[in-house]
Amino acid sequence: MADAFAIELKNIKKSFGAVAANRNINLSLRQGEILALLGENGSGKTTLMNMLSGIYRPDGGEIFVNGERVDIASPEDAKRLGIGMVHQHYRLVEVFSAADNIWLGRNCPKYPFREKLKSVCAEKKGWRRLTAGGKVLVCGAGAAFSERLLRKKRYQEVEKICSAFGFSIDPAKKVYNMAVSEKQTLEIVKVLYYGARIIILDEPTAVLTVQETEKLFEVLRRMKAEGHSIIIITHKLNEVLAISDRVAVLRKGEYVGTVETAEANEQMLTDLMVGHRVDLNIERPVVEKKKPLLEIRNLTVRNDEGVRAIDDVSFYIRGGEILGVAGIAGCGQRELCEAIAGLRKIESGEMVHKGENIVGLMPREIIEKGISMSFIPEDRLGMGLAPSLSITDNMLLKTYKTGSRPFSPFVDRRRGRAEAARIIEELGVVTPSTETPVRRLSGGNVQKVLVGREIQSGPNVIVTAYPVRGLDIHSSYAIYDILNRQKESGVGILFVGEDLDVMLALCDKIMVLCHGRVMGIVHASKTSKEELGLMMTGTLNLVRDDADAGKKTGIARDTNIREDDVR
Amino acid sequence: MKTMKRFHIVRREGVSLRRKCLYYVIAIFSALLLGALLLLTCGVNPLDYYAKVFTIGLSTARFPAKQVENFLNALVPLVLTSLALSVAYKMRFWNVGGEGQFLIGATAAAAIPLGLGSVGGTVPTLLLMAAAAMLASALWGGITAFFKVKFGTNETLLTLMLNYVALYFVSFLGETKGKWNFFLRTDSDRPIFASVFDTVAMPALRIGDFSLSLALPLTVLICVFLWFYLKKTKQGYEIAVIGDSPGTARYAGMKTGWIVVRTMLLSSALVGLAGFFKLMTSGSLSASITDNVGWTGVVVAWLSKLEPLGIVATSVLICVLRFGCSQASVNVSAVDSRFSDILQGVILFAVLAADFLLRFKIAKKEEAC
Repeated sequence: MADAFAIELKNIKKSFGAVAANRNINLSLRQGEILALLGENGSGKTTLMNMLSGIYRPDGGEIFVNGERVDIASPEDAKRLGIGMVHQHYRLVEVFSAADNIWLGRNCPKYPFREKLKSVCAEKKGWRRLTAGGKVLVCGAGAAFSERLLRKKRYQEVEKICSAFGFSIDPAKKVYNMAVSEKQTLEIVKVLYYGARIIILDEPTAVLTVQETEKLFEVLRRMKAEGHSIIIITHKLNEVLAISDRVAVLRKGEYVGTVETAEANEQMLTDLMVGHRVDLNIERPVVEKKKPLLEIRNLTVRNDEGVRAIDDVSFYIRGGEILGVAGIAGCGQRELCEAIAGLRKIESGEMVHKGENIVGLMPREIIEKGISMSFIPEDRLGMGLAPSLSITDNMLLKTYKTGSRPFSPFVDRRRGRAEAARIIEELGVVTPSTETPVRRLSGGNVQKVLVGREIQSGPNVIVTAYPVRGLDIHSSYAIYDILNRQKESGVGILFVGEDLDVMLALCDKIMVLCHGRVMGIVHASKTSKEELGLMMTGTLNLVRDDADAGKKTGIARDTNIREDDVR
Repeated sequence: MKTMKRFHIVRREGVSLRRKCLYYVIAIFSALLLGALLLLTCGVNPLDYYAKVFTIGLSTARFPAKQVENFLNALVPLVLTSLALSVAYKMRFWNVGGEGQFLIGATAAAAIPLGLGSVGGTVPTLLLMAAAAMLASALWGGITAFFKVKFGTNETLLTLMLNYVALYFVSFLGETKGKWNFFLRTDSDRPIFASVFDTVAMPALRIGDFSLSLALPLTVLICVFLWFYLKKTKQGYEIAVIGDSPGTARYAGMKTGWIVVRTMLLSSALVGLAGFFKLMTSGSLSASITDNVGWTGVVVAWLSKLEPLGIVATSVLICVLRFGCSQASVNVSAVDSRFSDILQGVILFAVLAADFLLRFKIAKKEEAC
């Protein structure tokens, strides 16, 4: 049946304990289309896709692939049906080369000689059958054995596949040496090599830069042109509109509907996803300018490999402003945050907080000065939260020692519980209780707990990196709102972000880093995405030493006073 | 077209405590049932045998009070060692050096009465012995934490290898006749470990025939203390955070290196204390003084999910099995006392199965059509 759906789901159900992750999902994927799957965090998108790739089994309902009813009991089954999934967290063996990662899951025929043996037995008789059979067995076993050997030629073979699909990967490169985008490409090649015709991508763009995302989309369009059917999960509505043919929306485990992308817009999709109208404008309140709270002067920091990650960087944050930091992955954002929080050794330079140099202070002393740092790493849980501990215990992480009972040997859990209850209430964290381990919460709720705690400590400088990483629209806006409230109360905020549209709308000024150097600090209201993009890749450098004035140019000075006003 | 499988495994959440206890009891019972089958094949009446095991041989004993004393003397080192190890495991620090730390503790404790004699009476001597045992063990175990923090060495390998160093050190002391070696008896030409009982004995509370060693109430106190320490104190909180996520602990401003060393010092000091208690019941040092508690303690700690109260319960069970089987083998010649090891192994597997069933359930698939 040529016109059958590539995938059709009917009344799919899945629950984990008492929680229903999917209820009566009906979904169809046409042949050769790109379907975007949209939904807030915890709406059951990943669960649904995991059932297609054989990781979970549905509690009820039916799955049809190419019109035929199937039972997908394992990833092996999915592979056989031509379904391949690129997971959000890559499933690669870090110490293997690219080629070996592909080779690993390759189907090599188990008994290639069994069929041959049967035919020999049928043809020949008596003694001749025995000798001929023996020969087949020995040669067959030899072939099967050599098939299992790791040979040099596998690199060439993998290279051939890569170029056939139009990818450029060094097959001998080890995965731990790869950038995030390379790992993703490898995952896609792997899936294609196993012969997948239906490809599922779970939040593929969450860790990519704008340019990398564009490249990925080209690949997806090409795959579509070759007749592959693709399901893509993403939170970013502009991407949904750019790449997909149709959009299917899930809300709280239920299927809301499917719309043609051509007839959709951002507002409509958001409303479908959330269930009610959402204001999509990010506000940027104007706050009276204050003195610089934190000033960084000529900071140089090395990364774990000993390379300069932050190279002679100077900037300052005023109270009541949000300074954005933009840059491609690995341009030194992480090292900058860690240096400010006292977690990384500073090679040279000064960090002046309220007139006091904080270089060389212990992380605890920096926390006590009111500088809060929250970094959401790619796995979301690695830094800032203890995943197996309860929300209450995580609330106490930074204040357990000196908070409410500085001299008592006991932890004040009552205070922790009260703070947890307040955050759950104020930020709308979805959780059974304050004693639930953080790892049981969905991604958005985990981040709300983290950001909530950082704000509750009453900081005067907030350093926050990727606070909305992987969050849905609803939660993201809740977080922007929290940051704006803090800004209005006079807190200085350093916002390391990835979505340029958001940064342009939210930040007062944006500093662009490229290879650890400042390419310029610009007013968000006076720059454009294109300009930022050029600066991020290092093509445009606004910073110049002005010998006459003895100052550097290309650094925007003030938040509220425009340069036009000065003139 | 493949046939549809009707059953699959589903994660279970929010299991009540009652259900948990019920599952574990069922697990232990089914293990005993399996043991009963084995006993039947040996031609032994399982009911009689189990009756003997679970009354730790009291029914046939000539001196029941002595019997209970011996049982408690075997129990105390196991409880204390398991508790001590669980403190390190909470921090995800794989201290498998219980054997070595136990031996070093016992040796250091023995050195006081054998080397210095009685130091101003029984109580000061005992206090000094306890202090020596804890200090020596703490250093023996703490060094592994120090190396891990400073140079990133593997604590599993280090603690494991130090076990053998300690073991052969004690063997060396026990087999080397020399003027300097005050651990040996002076009145014998052959090397034999001297008894500390000539100098000092553990104070005990006499209740009729039965004398309750001071070690037992002390162990109970330590158990309660550790429960508070791990659950309620700031230090216990630090241990939990480091065990869960060292990166987060560093980010929260904790001095992780010092906390690791401090916790390991506590863990190994308590193992040393167990060594001291054991010395005060056996009287003299020997290479087999540990009774394998350093290894059994690892199993006990994990079986009881690192919960102090669970550790006490599990230790009692394992101790009853061991002690009871050795008592039963006196009367039942067809079954060796090592039957307890078989039972212990079967129980371990049964409890693991119960754990699995507590975390997952086997669900029937609803057919939509």
